[in-house]
Amino acid sequence: MLNRSILKKGLFSYRSYHPSLKEYVKPATLSPLTYNKESVQYKILSNALTKWVPKHGFKEKAITDSLNELGFSSSLLSVIGASNSPAIFRSISPAVMELIKFQLVSKRYELTENLCPDTTPKNELPSLESLLLKRLEMDKAIGKQIPHLFAELATPSSFLFDVALPELHRLSDDMIYFSNEKDHHDMAWYTKRLGVSCAYVSSKLYMAQDNSRDFEDTLSFAKDKLHRIMKLGEYYNNTEEYAWYMFMVSTNLVRARLARS
Amino acid sequence: MTAELQQPKGNHRYQEPSQARMLKIPYNSTLSSGIRSFSVLSGLRATTIEPSNTNHPKSQSHLKNDEPTVKHANLSNAQKAYLDRAIRVDQAGELGANYIYAGQMFVLLRKHPHLKPILTHMWEQEVHHHNTFNALQLKNRVRPSLLTPFWKVGAIAMGVTTAAISPEAAMACTEAVETVIGGHYNEQLRVLTNQFELDKTDGTRGVPKEVRKLINTIKEFRDQELEHLDTAIKNDSKEAVPYKIITEGIKGICRIAVWSAERI
Ligand SMILES: [Fe+2]
Ligand SMILES: [Fe+2]
Repeated sequence: MLNRSILKKGLFSYRSYHPSLKEYVKPATLSPLTYNKESVQYKILSNALTKWVPKHGFKEKAITDSLNELGFSSSLLSVIGASNSPAIFRSISPAVMELIKFQLVSKRYELTENLCPDTTPKNELPSLESLLLKRLEMDKAIGKQIPHLFAELATPSSFLFDVALPELHRLSDDMIYFSNEKDHHDMAWYTKRLGVSCAYVSSKLYMAQDNSRDFEDTLSFAKDKLHRIMKLGEYYNNTEEYAWYMFMVSTNLVRARLARS
Repeated sequence: MTAELQQPKGNHRYQEPSQARMLKIPYNSTLSSGIRSFSVLSGLRATTIEPSNTNHPKSQSHLKNDEPTVKHANLSNAQKAYLDRAIRVDQAGELGANYIYAGQMFVLLRKHPHLKPILTHMWEQEVHHHNTFNALQLKNRVRPSLLTPFWKVGAIAMGVTTAAISPEAAMACTEAVETVIGGHYNEQLRVLTNQFELDKTDGTRGVPKEVRKLINTIKEFRDQELEHLDTAIKNDSKEAVPYKIITEGIKGICRIAVWSAERI
């Protein structure tokens, strides 16, 4: 049973049909978040993320400090985490889970905010590489917190399958859709997305240990990695165990799904 | 015209190539010229002259000029999931059809050149169907079927094998495939017309334009599939030996394929 729900929430649920934006009223929430940009939650969490996470990391303290600064009662902490069930085997609080989810989702939306592939000619869209670099640059401020963030994200748990992996796939899907990268009707659709995920995760891993000025090394690593994956099909390198792990998880989802039918 | 001469007698409903070419207008131009879709809307437009402007001045202010002023409520998750599956399975199905005809033509054209215009005509329509759903898959960001490589191989194999038995067997294959596809499209049309009425900001209800476009596309394709079915029967599909085994077997395969392409 657990397996089945993991499968449903993994690769296969990660994004369904995207309606044409013009025809509908603006969605009430920033899916998969349960609130929108104008909400109190959004204000509290984005303030926590920009101001307090660089200082305290992804900890409850970052949220409470943000609550205090904005003049809210710290009892709101339980409201913030309300959409997450408490983790059974881990010490992470639901509010911190929400903060991590918020960091992944809000930055993904921010990355493509002003792009509209529906109306822009393909060749005027940014390149895949520039979107990848832009996304990495967005995390410069929390560079010191990345190892901890990774530890939380990579722990095998429902959080990994319900939030972290689907978000990773959505990010890769967005980077391809909103860039001038050619998209595909067959297996290349999957391999391209896995390739981008792989490049992103390994660059993030690199970033976690990068001491160069302004993360210059990370950015050139990312460029090189993306090139090697997309042009040379080099998905796996011994030093990138985590990327390999992610890749395996994704392909195992696919394989298990096939075996089930 | 050559096509008509080579048809078996009594084939008065066979479509002439010139007419067929008219049907092959690229997807966007057929629908955005929108004669059919507007006729659906005109009734609604007439009853809701201006109220939207007075009731919702705020929601209008930020819109760009090319955006419709009356908006729909958002599609539910179930509706999005349905469209997702519909586009994936239709794309896979049209890919299959495209490759089946390609396989048949590969075998039949040399030995039975008189079938060329019929097969070419049907194949060209399938290519157009396939391209249309390919475009929709990318536009709406639907993931393609994971079994795509399998559909390709399977469809070519099906085309080649049936054609290798006899031209009649190839026609029986077409008959079976189009029967299932025709039924499948009708089922989709039923759901799309009945289950996609949404509230609009002007207080009325209606089916969103993109869904109406999809309905029109599927209707057009369904009609062409049924035309293929007629063509197959007129070309002696019923004389295929063994008719029952071929048609029932292929129908079974198609139903399994539809089921799995929706999901995987
Ligand atoms: Fe077709
Ligand atoms: Fe057909």
